[in-house]
Amino acid sequence: MATELVELEGHIVDSLILAKVLDVILDAGADYDIVEFDVGRTNVDASRARIEVLHEDEDRLASLLEELQVHGANRVDSADARLVSCETDGVLPEDFYSTTNLPTQVRIGGHWIDVENPEMDCGLAVLDGGRVRTVPMHQVRRGDQIVVGLDGVRVQPPERPRGSSPFEFMASEVSSEKPKGLLVEEVARRIVDARARGGRVLAVCGPAVIHTGAGPDLARLVRDGIVDVLFAGNGFATHDIESNVLGTSLGVVLSEGRAAVHGHSNHLRVINEVRRRGSIAAAVADGYITGGVMYECVRRRVPFVLGGSLRDDGPLPDVITDVVAAADAMRAHVPGVAVALMLATTLHAIATGNILPAGVETYCVDINQAVVTKLADRGSHQALGLVTDVGLFLRELADRLT
Amino acid sequence: MSLPWGRRYLMCPPEHYGVLYEINPWMHREVAVDSDRAREQWGGLVDTLKAAGATIELLEPRADLPDLVFTANAGLVNGTQFVPSRFRHPERQRETEVDIAWFAACGFRVDELPEDVHHEGAGDALPFRGVLVSGYRFRSDAASHAYVSRLTGAPVRSVELADPRLYHLDLTFCPLDDRRAIVAPDGWDGYGRKVMAALVPEPLVLELDDAMVFCANSVVVDDVVVMHDCPPAVGRRLEAWGFEVAISPVGEFLKAGGSCRCLTLALDVALTVDTQEKPLSVV
Repeated sequence: MATELVELEGHIVDSLILAKVLDVILDAGADYDIVEFDVGRTNVDASRARIEVLHEDEDRLASLLEELQVHGANRVDSADARLVSCETDGVLPEDFYSTTNLPTQVRIGGHWIDVENPEMDCGLAVLDGGRVRTVPMHQVRRGDQIVVGLDGVRVQPPERPRGSSPFEFMASEVSSEKPKGLLVEEVARRIVDARARGGRVLAVCGPAVIHTGAGPDLARLVRDGIVDVLFAGNGFATHDIESNVLGTSLGVVLSEGRAAVHGHSNHLRVINEVRRRGSIAAAVADGYITGGVMYECVRRRVPFVLGGSLRDDGPLPDVITDVVAAADAMRAHVPGVAVALMLATTLHAIATGNILPAGVETYCVDINQAVVTKLADRGSHQALGLVTDVGLFLRELADRLT
Repeated sequence: MSLPWGRRYLMCPPEHYGVLYEINPWMHREVAVDSDRAREQWGGLVDTLKAAGATIELLEPRADLPDLVFTANAGLVNGTQFVPSRFRHPERQRETEVDIAWFAACGFRVDELPEDVHHEGAGDALPFRGVLVSGYRFRSDAASHAYVSRLTGAPVRSVELADPRLYHLDLTFCPLDDRRAIVAPDGWDGYGRKVMAALVPEPLVLELDDAMVFCANSVVVDDVVVMHDCPPAVGRRLEAWGFEVAISPVGEFLKAGGSCRCLTLALDVALTVDTQEKPLSVV
């Protein structure tokens, strides 16, 4: 959809100029959105309107704009974006345009070009052939053409999921006082819809998924092909394997809820054995791991990224301990993701939220309301939160989807 | 009640008038202008206006500016303020410096429109019932209207002109008094017709044929309507309303697409109350 902003000023109401301009837009098969409208208080005062004109065809929009100009509606901000060459690897030019996660367009040579991979807190690089991509600071290279200033860049406002749904009557994005069954059913329906459109489903998991006993339910979702990619840390993968091999999660016997004797070292022994084998996949291959989420990921070739942190034990050999490299590995899996489930994790949810475009439907499930708020505060405004126990959520979701 | 303006005019003798280029559908260079006849008709118009009670100021003609004779397009007068035109065609753009020099010398404050818009002065803008009706499309830009309003303080009614033969507003609209006006709706688009229907309580509606002989391009001095020619139906209506019709043929000027109104620029127009003070050097 090609769009342009036009401005109309004067006695446009009494002269029926506004009415005419809107009619001309509709007659041309285009649509409009009155972005701003200051109406003069008296018949002496002038009025001013800013109108966004939308047309599916860029050439037709251009000829429509010429016609609108006859009636005094002039294009606003017709300047191209300003580009500056990077001088140093890993350093953006001063005054670089800092991105949001919203759909963004950049004006180059008089045309609005869609940014291919919206991501917040990046620069905008214009590639040969006029393509535009977001680029994280550490990835820029000397000579890259980077957009500076605000001219020639525009973002589209975020849109909530449309259609009648239990989310529509949620006054806030966080629901602690809503019927959970309805919400889970809605999430299940949206996952089915997204998959039908060819979208991928991302699960971002914290260790509480295993602690609460929901490992088998998530494993079921992976086995049945509902989850397409998985992000987690050392803790989640370790306890998933520990629960499968030793029946405990952080030393607690999952079937009985009591602490096992010397159970505090169980996860270290599991990590040690996986390290002995070289990777989780190798541990699956030689029969050390016989079930669980990571097992199903390996068996079904569902890609996973395990990002490391300072407090990790071991870590497992698959954990990427260079956090910049881990974030890049996660970025590689973002294209095509339509639904993200943030399951009982604060830090991985925020890290993932940082690299997801705003168009990804994001559901944040946590017993702690602050996690959901925190995610939205860091810019992932699209996140809808379900304040509930992740174990109960996953069981119900798996029952509906598998 | 009579119009509060229209008793003092700026005119330019047709010493150098001729159809030397073609910038409207009426102009044809192969049609020769009879210079003696043009001078005679222009003199006749001056006499008719004076007889009706108007005073006439003169602008010095220039050999290289044949259309300077059409003073209506010099700009907009608003009390002591003069807003010079921004002509669309390069052929007429050089008139502006002559117009500015005259008004500045007479003590008017000159306020100019931005360079990137076109507006052809009183040819495309006439005051009526507290607003300035302004035409656009062929000569003036719609975008110029907001600037005109900002400079003069007058509320503007924009009307799109729809027929290239009626390329200026003053070929389609002639205020007669505070309620009546000669109108040629064929020259306007549908929105313009609605705007004007709401604005003019008692219109004298011209048939297209009468509009094409420039009936609306007349000069009104109190209750005298000075016209090139008057179709019987128009004359009867004007007389019924108490106007006197004074015929002043200007056929030589019709060859360039202008009639009586185009040859005059009213100097006693005040669009807003606070600028009604008269310039000292113009009496």
